[in-house]
Amino acid sequence: MTQFLQQLTNGLSIGSVYALMAVGYSLVYSIMNFSNFAHGGVIMLGAYFGFFGLTTFKLPFAAAFALATAGTALVAIVVERVAYKPLRDRKAPFLYFIISAMGASMFLENFVIATIGPNPKPYPPIIPREPIALGDLALGRLDLIMFIVSAACLTLLVLFIDRTRLGKAIQASAYNMKASALMGINTDSVVILVFALGGFLAGVAGVLYGMKYMVYPTIGAITLKSFIAAVFGGLGSLPGAVLGSVLLGVIETLVAGYLSSQYRDLIAFVILIGVLIVRPTGIMGKAVEDKA
Amino acid sequence: MDSYILGILMLAGINLVAVLGLSLLTGFTGLFSFGHAGFMAIGAYVGAFLTVSPARDVPGLGLPLVVGILGGGAAAGIVSWLVGRITLNLKGDYFCIATLGFGEAIRLVFNNVQRFGGSRGWPLGATRNPQDIWVILLVDVVAILLVANLVRSRHGRNMIAIREEELAAQVTGINVFRYKMVSLVTSAVLAGVAGVLLGDYLTFINPKIFNLTKSTELIIIVIFGGLGSISGSVLGALLLTALPEVLRFFEIWRLVFYGAAVILIMISRPQGLLGGMELTPAGIRKILAERRARQALRAEAAREAEGGSR
Amino acid sequence: MSGILEVKGLTKRFGGLAAVDNVSFSVREGGISGLIGPNGAGKTTIFNLITGVYKVTEGSVSFSGSEITNMEPFRIADRGITRTFQNIRLFKNLTVYENVLTACHMSAKYSIPEALLRLPRYLREEKALRAKAEDLLSIMGLTERRDVQANNLPYGLQRRLEIVRALALDPKLLLLDEPAAGMNPDETEQLMRLISEIRTRFKLTVLVIEHHMDLVMRLCESIVVLNFGQKLAEGTADEIRGDPRVVEAYLGSGGN
Repeated sequence: MTQFLQQLTNGLSIGSVYALMAVGYSLVYSIMNFSNFAHGGVIMLGAYFGFFGLTTFKLPFAAAFALATAGTALVAIVVERVAYKPLRDRKAPFLYFIISAMGASMFLENFVIATIGPNPKPYPPIIPREPIALGDLALGRLDLIMFIVSAACLTLLVLFIDRTRLGKAIQASAYNMKASALMGINTDSVVILVFALGGFLAGVAGVLYGMKYMVYPTIGAITLKSFIAAVFGGLGSLPGAVLGSVLLGVIETLVAGYLSSQYRDLIAFVILIGVLIVRPTGIMGKAVEDKA
Repeated sequence: MDSYILGILMLAGINLVAVLGLSLLTGFTGLFSFGHAGFMAIGAYVGAFLTVSPARDVPGLGLPLVVGILGGGAAAGIVSWLVGRITLNLKGDYFCIATLGFGEAIRLVFNNVQRFGGSRGWPLGATRNPQDIWVILLVDVVAILLVANLVRSRHGRNMIAIREEELAAQVTGINVFRYKMVSLVTSAVLAGVAGVLLGDYLTFINPKIFNLTKSTELIIIVIFGGLGSISGSVLGALLLTALPEVLRFFEIWRLVFYGAAVILIMISRPQGLLGGMELTPAGIRKILAERRARQALRAEAAREAEGGSR
Repeated sequence: MSGILEVKGLTKRFGGLAAVDNVSFSVREGGISGLIGPNGAGKTTIFNLITGVYKVTEGSVSFSGSEITNMEPFRIADRGITRTFQNIRLFKNLTVYENVLTACHMSAKYSIPEALLRLPRYLREEKALRAKAEDLLSIMGLTERRDVQANNLPYGLQRRLEIVRALALDPKLLLLDEPAAGMNPDETEQLMRLISEIRTRFKLTVLVIEHHMDLVMRLCESIVVLNFGQKLAEGTADEIRGDPRVVEAYLGSGGN
């Protein structure tokens, strides 16, 4: 039983990081209606920003964390301005956005490989390694922190979107961009805000991920899992993204623990296939019919 | 001929087959697959299994290359049919994510199947056979004819209609699902054949060759050459295979450049080199006719505007 | 007497909202009928239900005596019902000729292998397709513009092209969704004549959604009025004009 609970907590912690990634991605999806494939690159940069903040600049953890997340928010905005805004202005078909996103992702990832190098680097140990004992369970301090930080960020995000004026502007734009613009909402600012938020979350996810595992240029590949998690939970639904991510994290860890770590990555695809066959709109998604 | 140049030509010819398939799917039917390297992988591994000599460490059946090509293509086609059944009814985004997922999943599977070398890879044979350039050329010609004849028929026009306006295509009597499937399977078969040829060329395959970067590179070539243009795909495949070889010492920056180039193309010239046009006599005639018609239209509009302002 | 199109108890709910609520009407074969109502009354939704674009929540649609409810759109087109769209949905990057040629596809039967190998059947049927497309363009006055890209056409001609595309499938019933939208009185007049002509020439039945009241009143032999998803009235132009409910809901306040 403890083995199970142990795996469960591990799964919850990685699931919470997936949730950060998936929510950032879903946020952009709900406003812009396309999959921001460059999200992974931004997460990767977050991990690197945090790494350099801690090692090269020897900043205290909180400062490095702030630097990393501010940096990724900025990168996300730059990507939007350079790769997406011109397409939006020209009302390009949404598939052009995906291609541009792919280009941005390729650029970011390979830029890092070309400049910093492909070798993984470990984060300096910030968190002491001995786990906290809770009865029979050994809770990794890092896992606990990942979970708490993720939960805190997501809660703040929900409060922001629900309670503030800017948040309501985001909701309105997600529902109907054109109508919102006609109502006087500066949709361009909303887009920038959404990308900044997504970038911020990506930064948090990147730093946490780098702390738990390592920093390497292809961290972005993990975003595929968050896409799957978002589809699993329901594309465009923020609670769905969280639910799908947590479930994915837990299922993945349980499979790796009880079956074999070889299947860890494969299970995400099995889930994807399952979702697409059984219920493509995901757990919390709604079936939408094409408006003619 | 210099064996280095021959090698580049062979590689370009191989890429062309996969690019033609992807061009049909993406350029003409409007479906963006980010997992086509996966179909190449299936072709490569099945082709290798059929053709590798039984005497090697990781043995195969030792059948002739032709069998490998047919088998690899067919296997890729069958898998694509299954993928299509699951994904083609869904909205565009889902198809992108699903193909991305499938491409990666296929790679992971091959990574874990030790029988075919797993992540270490599979050495296929002694040396590359320079005579294979003729096989590649033959396959290229067949592939070009196949795609061209398909596109210039009511079936190809239906696919194009799906790309243009899917809903209108449906009410115009086009069985959208069936045509998407035909397009997908054809493109996968071509990718599979390219995979077999690639294995033959490299004399070594491993799953890393068929990763997301490879899938993205194929898409980039199609876009660079121009969506909806066969001549564009041919040109794109030649240029973008030869170019990196020429700029070899830029290898490490090649993909950085590609990424930036993609964004640039999308925001400034999304039709790429020859989007929607063909470098054939008929294609050029068409461009001229369209230009004439457009000018006539503008002249008429100008005349009306003048006549109207009394 | 049953018409070529019978709509019975048609209902479409989106979540809690009924966009179309228990609508029944019949369209007489060979006639030009109108479907009118204020914006949001459910007219286009009914077109979508008839053509299989939306699935019905309740009710049935039958055509020439056979049930076609919830059939796939392409099958319904095959049966003989074609349509145009409120927001023009031409194949934008294709030329006028290519738009029509594509739509002619059902007049040929050659298979994919026959096309790939350029067998005689392909050559024969393809030639016939091209002739048919040119013919249609000529009848509808678009030959001069055959090489213009669809999205470069002037607005009025785009609407006409959409109708031609719908005709290319040799339909028995033609559904036109606001074909006169955005047209000035001259163009509307031309359109009216066009619709009348094609009805006679191609031996069609036509069902039109329109807001241009004089077009509807002068052209349509029978009119169905919708409001808030429900059928308000059905009858001839005179009957509708005089119906106080219709006048109140629609024509009275600000209509032409």
